[in-house]
Amino acid sequence: MEMKPTEIISFYFNGVTLEGRVGDTIASALHAAGIMVLSKSIHHHRPRGFYCAIGNCSSCHMTVNGVANVKTCITPLKAGMQVVYQDGKGVLR
Amino acid sequence: MIHTQAIVIGGGPAGLCAAYQLASHGVHTILFERNTMLGGQLIKQTHKFFGSEKQYAKTRGFDIAKKLITDLEPLQDKLTIHKNATVLGIYPDKVVTVMKDEQYFKYQAEVILVATGAMEKVLAFENNDLPGIYGAGAVQTLMNVYGVYPGKKIVMVGSGNIGLIVSYQLMQAGVEVLAVIEAQNTIGGYKVHASKLRRLGVPILTQKTVMKAMGTEVLEAIQIVSLDEKWNPIPYTEEIIACDALCISVGLSPMHQLLSMTNIKMKYIPELGGNVPLASETNETSVPGLFVCGDAYGIEEASSAIVEGYLTGLFAIQKLGLSSSDLHGLIQDYEHQLQNLRSGPFGKKTRIGMDKIKEARNAF
Repeated sequence: MEMKPTEIISFYFNGVTLEGRVGDTIASALHAAGIMVLSKSIHHHRPRGFYCAIGNCSSCHMTVNGVANVKTCITPLKAGMQVVYQDGKGVLR
Repeated sequence: MIHTQAIVIGGGPAGLCAAYQLASHGVHTILFERNTMLGGQLIKQTHKFFGSEKQYAKTRGFDIAKKLITDLEPLQDKLTIHKNATVLGIYPDKVVTVMKDEQYFKYQAEVILVATGAMEKVLAFENNDLPGIYGAGAVQTLMNVYGVYPGKKIVMVGSGNIGLIVSYQLMQAGVEVLAVIEAQNTIGGYKVHASKLRRLGVPILTQKTVMKAMGTEVLEAIQIVSLDEKWNPIPYTEEIIACDALCISVGLSPMHQLLSMTNIKMKYIPELGGNVPLASETNETSVPGLFVCGDAYGIEEASSAIVEGYLTGLFAIQKLGLSSSDLHGLIQDYEHQLQNLRSGPFGKKTRIGMDKIKEARNAF
């Protein structure tokens, strides 16, 4: 099986510029950059990473471009995205 | 409200094959897939399939997905495919609500085929929510779809086929699999997969389970323990293994949530992985015109989902009252194929599960 490297794109995680690749999801790009903690749980504020990677389990929710509870494991990464760590339920705007 | 003849929910092997039969028999069909890609979990399966030629044996999973998708291309005048479209609800009057591009749509069809697939089960142990603990399928997705390493040192929990295959793929990708842990006293999956792992020096430890995970922000180590014949932990057999990822491969359960919205008759059947509809011999649920196929109707392999998808598409065509000279022959052929797939020792659970469905349906 062959995996050709795709074009590098940059995005922001908590305001810091990171690089991902075209074809990445937000979570896969973060994981490749060594970031595994995506959010904190609602009641006990325990660290959360992703679990299922196919959009089922809701463990990967983050705030993306101001929208809370985005399933980052299935949302394609786009250049310039503002990805923010989410503590608890997130805020509706 | 948008009206059509048939709606298929899910673009995995079952859904694609159901849509193929419907559209190639002239039925106006709309398929909804919530992901950006069609093919379901086939797209991450790099191993070659077993079985017979008819179910694409000796072909790699992602190549099967390509084949099934290509088969649909000539049917474009009958089949509309919506990707990135999440079905939010099914109603008994066969209305389906959909979210696509942040917009809400309503559809109504004469027949609906639910092929939502399955989700991975979790295992209960202390700190099982630490980042670094993943479903085995998630690791496979990360590695084979996105080309990202899930970790450097991994422990796999569960020695079923998924656990064994994913462990082997991890080793191929250069990730160290420290051990495969199995609570039962025998390896769950095919011996051929287990042998490949053993040849690479990966220990498969039976009668052991995970007691707890350790780590502050992310996984740093796990504690495993030996189990006696009654699955009780044996004192003083605890061992600590340092690892940065733990894969949970303890089976799948059907994605029943959409079906459960309709008040159809359902039952928890452990042999099939969880809640399944009490559907008829033609895969029709207790709501007339609402069909189910694939893993949503009991956990099996992708080969079975393919055949059941084709078959359920044909049953739905019959329900619509359409006649075609080849219908009867095709149904017989696929029924026969499905029977073959379920005939071996690994099909035992499905056979028991299907008998339980029949029994429960008659009891209603």
